[in-house]
Amino acid sequence: MSCILTLMTFIPLVGMITILALPKNNDNLVRWTASVFTAIPLALAVWLYMNFDTANPGLQFVQQVDWIKAYNIQYYVGIDGLSVPMVLLTALLSFLCVVASWGIDKGVKGYYAMFLFLETGMIGVFCALDFFLFFVYWEIMLLPMYFLIGIWGGKNKVYAAIKFFLYTLFGSVLMLLVMLAMYIYSEPHTFNLIELAKMHAFVGKELVLFGWAIPMDKLFWVGLFIGFAIKVPIWPFHTWLPWAHVEAPTAVSVILAGVLLKMGTYGILRMNYSILPDATMWASNFMMILGVINVIYGACCAMAQKDLKKLVAYSSVSHMGYVIMGMASFTTAGVNGAVLQMFNHGTSTAMMFLLVGVLYDRAHHRWIVKPDGSRGFGGIASTVPVYTGYMVIALFASLGLPGLSGFISEALVFLGAFSNPRFQVYVVIGSIGIVLGAGYLLWMFMRVFLGPLNEEYANLEDMTWREKFTLIPLAILVIVLGVYPMPVLNLMSSTIAQLLTLFNKV
Amino acid sequence: MTPEMMTNLKLFAPEIALTFFLCTLFVYDAVLPSLRKTLFPLIVIVFGMGLAIWATADVATGVQTYFSGMIANDGFGNFFRIFFFATAAICAIVAYGSKELETSGRTEFGLLLLCITFGLSLMANATHLLTLYIGIETASILSFAMAGFARHTLRGNEASIKYLIFGALSSGLMIYGFSLIYGYTGSLQYAEIGKYLTAHADGRPLIVLFALFLIYGGIAYKISAFPMHFWTPDVYEGTTSPVATFFSVGPKAAGVAALIRFFLTACATKTGEGVWTSIPGLSLPNAVAMIAAVTMLIGNLSAIGQTNVKRILAYSSIAHVGYILMGLVGMEKTGLTAILFYLVAYCLMNIGAFWVVGIVSDIKKSEDLSAFRGMGWSSPTLGVCMAVFLFSLTGIPMFSGFIGKFLLFGALLKAPGFLWLAIFGVLNSVVSLYYYSKILKAMYFERDEQVVALDLLPLHRAGLVLLAIPTVVLGLFFGPVIEFAEKAVLSFL
Repeated sequence: MSCILTLMTFIPLVGMITILALPKNNDNLVRWTASVFTAIPLALAVWLYMNFDTANPGLQFVQQVDWIKAYNIQYYVGIDGLSVPMVLLTALLSFLCVVASWGIDKGVKGYYAMFLFLETGMIGVFCALDFFLFFVYWEIMLLPMYFLIGIWGGKNKVYAAIKFFLYTLFGSVLMLLVMLAMYIYSEPHTFNLIELAKMHAFVGKELVLFGWAIPMDKLFWVGLFIGFAIKVPIWPFHTWLPWAHVEAPTAVSVILAGVLLKMGTYGILRMNYSILPDATMWASNFMMILGVINVIYGACCAMAQKDLKKLVAYSSVSHMGYVIMGMASFTTAGVNGAVLQMFNHGTSTAMMFLLVGVLYDRAHHRWIVKPDGSRGFGGIASTVPVYTGYMVIALFASLGLPGLSGFISEALVFLGAFSNPRFQVYVVIGSIGIVLGAGYLLWMFMRVFLGPLNEEYANLEDMTWREKFTLIPLAILVIVLGVYPMPVLNLMSSTIAQLLTLFNKV
Repeated sequence: MTPEMMTNLKLFAPEIALTFFLCTLFVYDAVLPSLRKTLFPLIVIVFGMGLAIWATADVATGVQTYFSGMIANDGFGNFFRIFFFATAAICAIVAYGSKELETSGRTEFGLLLLCITFGLSLMANATHLLTLYIGIETASILSFAMAGFARHTLRGNEASIKYLIFGALSSGLMIYGFSLIYGYTGSLQYAEIGKYLTAHADGRPLIVLFALFLIYGGIAYKISAFPMHFWTPDVYEGTTSPVATFFSVGPKAAGVAALIRFFLTACATKTGEGVWTSIPGLSLPNAVAMIAAVTMLIGNLSAIGQTNVKRILAYSSIAHVGYILMGLVGMEKTGLTAILFYLVAYCLMNIGAFWVVGIVSDIKKSEDLSAFRGMGWSSPTLGVCMAVFLFSLTGIPMFSGFIGKFLLFGALLKAPGFLWLAIFGVLNSVVSLYYYSKILKAMYFERDEQVVALDLLPLHRAGLVLLAIPTVVLGLFFGPVIEFAEKAVLSFL
């Protein structure tokens, strides 16, 4: 089954074409078709998980075919410990999101076609090992995302969509330049990421910009980093995020927070860390500082929000900060924690967004406190107990309660970063983020779910079977990985150990 | 007839074929005017262009220049010949069924189209300033008439007059430049000029630079590059859509070809296989880089505030010339190959975009952004095709426009010292997304309550899809076209 990754990537695309060919006005048929075409990659992902050799730090399920010979571009896909958790997460969330989007009734065909196209792009990014291929997947994801936010989004959807598109394009054109420069200055010319990583071709060379000679590898590092930082998003490139997350329809927010943000950190590990280790070492302090800023800044912003969805959006900024901190620590525990946090944040934040969506579907607003200062929700725990139960799981996973998944990854991150003597001060500052996190989440919980019941919401309907169906798998993952994280940690640890040998040398 | 003349005529066969079909069309139109309403003119043009392309592919190689060194015979020129013939055929299809042209007559459009194509082909192949001038004037004078097709509207008259005045001015400047060059070097032949300028590098008077600048100005008018770009938006907006479609592609490509041929032959020397060095005392790369930067900046910034889609596309076409000029900065084959590829991609996506605008304005009598409201929902074919063209113009991967930019920036990064231009260029393409997305926004994000489906001619529907498909395919499998373009560049005289 060496073509399994290709199958996983392109089955959603086949689904998209199938959906476009379906007759008009049969929305349920479209929904079921979309579910089938996302369920197949999920099934393949499970097979992939079963057959993935955790002891092997290298690439698996590789497929390498010439694409454009004149430029030595290849269709080159494969996965290792860094990408496999992300592929699994993508397949899972895509399927759940298709189910969660059942309620969309405007332009259903277009919605699901775009959604499946998006899945192709996402899985493609995590599998691609050729820079050109990676870049194509990276960019084509923008198109469905732009339309999904712009057509099916909320009140400010147009602004949010274009802001997202412009910001990301800005980052990716810098990446394009770095990609071209890497091709030109590598010998032999190649876009192959694995070859580039072996080459160390950019150390000790210089490029001239406005009369200054700048070390090539550092210039490349910065170019790539900005591109990825926008996606993560790392402060100060985060301003698109609250808009896009809040305006997007629920399922798209889930994908944005659950998968797209991880592409940034995944890209940093795959490109900056593997190809430019010296420059990464050079920038480690800088990254650590940005990570800490993200944690604290995101948490502070979340604390100030009156909109439930915006709060969750800013909490993502904060949680991605932990990932950056873990990565910048260069310790086994730290980097493992970072990748685990990428996975765990994917599940817990997906739950949060799904739950916010459930509430929005019923109440048609998301105010914790209404803009005029009056109470938004209040005391709804008594009317929707099941809903509250799920929220408790998501919320405590998110704030890092021991026994739930978030705790393990955050603990590993702090453990790793603290064991590197250079970063102990940062860890101390960063750990304030945990307190702040508990603060904004519990405060939100108190205002929305506890206290005297706001009579307006006395008749809220509790969860339907479909909503439970989307949340149960995530809840199980959150609880299981909180108790026993090894199934995911095992996947990545050998690859990360190999990656870190790059830094122990320099 | 001497044998030499026979060979010369054989090399000129594509243009002769073109002239033959031009005459055919002319005579039939005079004798049987009733044929105007049929598909006949279109068939003549498309068939004639097909034959001309076939004749070009058949042109014998080995003879370097012909007609006493007036015209080049190389793969580069033949590439452009094929390009112009194909563009003319596509534009004839665009014009067919256009309501704007109905009163003025499609046959006349076809006649002018073929004449202009003849001029463009001369421009691209000229190796002598006189041939260049004849080519430019043939194209320009007929273009003034073509721009005036919308003669019943104020805007249409403005367009024609504006085009005429700018054309006259630039052609005057250019011929002044020719005379100065002739006075200094004693020749009008590109290669001879180059030899003389190289040999007399020391103590070269400033007037030569001035003359070269004037010649550039004449060509810049054709490609609407800085500083001769002012006419573009007004003319495109005022004239009919099929005319604007053709103007935005054909003459531009010819101008680019003439620019490359003149400056690489007369102001640079070939120092290797597909490598040129500018002659001492002239820093072509820096000059081109500055012009490219200013042109793309002006195009992109001006487009942001526009609400008329044709004006947006007009400004965007200025910006695209800026991108294209980046390929000349390195003065070597990768850059030129990139230019040729970009022109092919540009031809597909730009004709497509203008075509959609033409169709919309035919039906809604408006080219404003508001005319596009909800179009993506009411007529999915138009919407999807337009989206493909716009994404391609922006340079998003999977579309051919991206590959064009990919090649151009790649060539630019190879040239040491122009990293700034590469960064400037990519940032410009981010800016361009903003105004292209305004059209997308109108098409998809703003839904009118009452959706009026636009009626599309089957020919137009098929044509648009046939432009959109290669726009995508060339974005994924671009190897063959690059090889073809590279071969053309390597055979450059």
